[in-house]
Amino acid sequence: MKRRQFLADLIYGAAALALPATATEARTDSRGIRYLRPPGALPEPEFQSRCIRCGQCGEVCPNRTIKYFGLENSVSSLDTPFIIPREQACILCMKCGDICPTGAIQKIKRDADDILSKVKMGHAWVDKNICLSYQGKTCGVCYRACPLQDVAIKVGMLEQPQVLDKCVGCGLCERSCIQIPQAIKIIPNYS
Amino acid sequence: MIFIYRQLNKLRWLTLTLVFSMLIVLPFIHLYQTYIAAHAYDLIAPSEKQIYDVMEQLTAPFVSDPQHDLDALKGNTWSGNLFGLSLSDPLAAVSQAATGMTVYWPLFMTALIPIILTMIFGRFFCGWICPATFLYELNSNLAVLLHKLGLHTGHRRLDMRLKYVVLGVGLVLSMLTGAVLTAAIYPPAILGREIYYAVALNGFGAGMVFFIMTLLFDLLVSRRGFCRYLCPGGALYSLLGRFRLFRIRRKVETCNDCAKCNAVCEFGLDPLRDDFGQECNNCTACIAICPTDALTFVVSPKDVAFQGPGHLGRIYKRQHQAGSEEA
Repeated sequence: MKRRQFLADLIYGAAALALPATATEARTDSRGIRYLRPPGALPEPEFQSRCIRCGQCGEVCPNRTIKYFGLENSVSSLDTPFIIPREQACILCMKCGDICPTGAIQKIKRDADDILSKVKMGHAWVDKNICLSYQGKTCGVCYRACPLQDVAIKVGMLEQPQVLDKCVGCGLCERSCIQIPQAIKIIPNYS
Repeated sequence: MIFIYRQLNKLRWLTLTLVFSMLIVLPFIHLYQTYIAAHAYDLIAPSEKQIYDVMEQLTAPFVSDPQHDLDALKGNTWSGNLFGLSLSDPLAAVSQAATGMTVYWPLFMTALIPIILTMIFGRFFCGWICPATFLYELNSNLAVLLHKLGLHTGHRRLDMRLKYVVLGVGLVLSMLTGAVLTAAIYPPAILGREIYYAVALNGFGAGMVFFIMTLLFDLLVSRRGFCRYLCPGGALYSLLGRFRLFRIRRKVETCNDCAKCNAVCEFGLDPLRDDFGQECNNCTACIAICPTDALTFVVSPKDVAFQGPGHLGRIYKRQHQAGSEEA
């Protein structure tokens, strides 16, 4: 794997000379794109090698959640699917895994146990400095948006949210947060 | 039988048009499904309402529960779902296997039907289905028009074997980078995605730039140059279809050497000298244009060697008369 990474870097280097700067910049993620992969996606390097960029996951998504990379992330993730949870979050319908022909997005049954054990898009994180409930104004919107209430997130006094270990990272809490910028964010899990 | 073969070119245009229009309609159907899923008819913009209404009218005769039933038709020619049967481009399976350095069998099985059909009919995908071919052929018609208007269009000839190099290099680079790079330089895959981006997402992406460059290449440098000399998928199909069973053959007895077949051949082949090779995509344009019905389909795994000048042609007659006078 290490030699492969080295060769890959070599090629990106060469590509960077040929292409305008976009390719390499993106590789270091300097623009700080925080994106999620669709639910059930393989770990990151493997996902890129499995995905054939057919675009069916987006075409089957009933919530228009899945978008596709151009050259802004890196050349190797060109046309791969991603989710920006603040714009549109995953409703865990699991249709993308059913249609994916390559298994880059694994088939997962639409069932609470399966989703909890297999979906690992990321993990929600509450910014207590922004969150209304932690400022003494009872809110609780994220808790109500969560499809896995009391399993993935629970609320304490004044509806103060507390993310539990089982959070799968669908992003519906981040999507629904009424603070700008959002007080709850998904920390992506690419591995 | 030859009467039917002569109509095949029209049928081909029909399938090309059908596939291309499906690529445009499917993203709209996706939008329609998302509107239904969101119960959003009263909330969407007037333009979106229009999409909703048109798609409802289009699909209403075929489905009872559009939100779920319309999932039966998804994807594009690169990889798609046809009423539960999922099909993939052989190049997708091959380049994915090269990228991951393992064969993922479920994907390979979806490419099996196209592979078998290619072994029987040769490069038929390139002529009959490929959505890029639809635009490329219109593009070469445009080139003819521009030529009539006195503008210069490209007719450079390169080496046909160049595309095998592109395929090889593409696969090796995919393997080294761990990303399916061939998908980024393969016009039908690009078009399938980009039309979806344009309709359902925020407009054309990077792939369209590449595609327009190939159109300009065809127009200004070499007629149908990308398909002939550079397409990695075409290379794979050519290799698979090398020993295809259905191929076009010239009947030397009725040929009059008019060379219309050579002029009309999009792939720059030489039917007049029986030189079809693995490149022929069975598009049947030469059959349709032949004035003496001298081209026909045969079932044979090999082409014949050059059969000599056509028997109705001037060269053959002169040789023949000379021969009889000597005798």
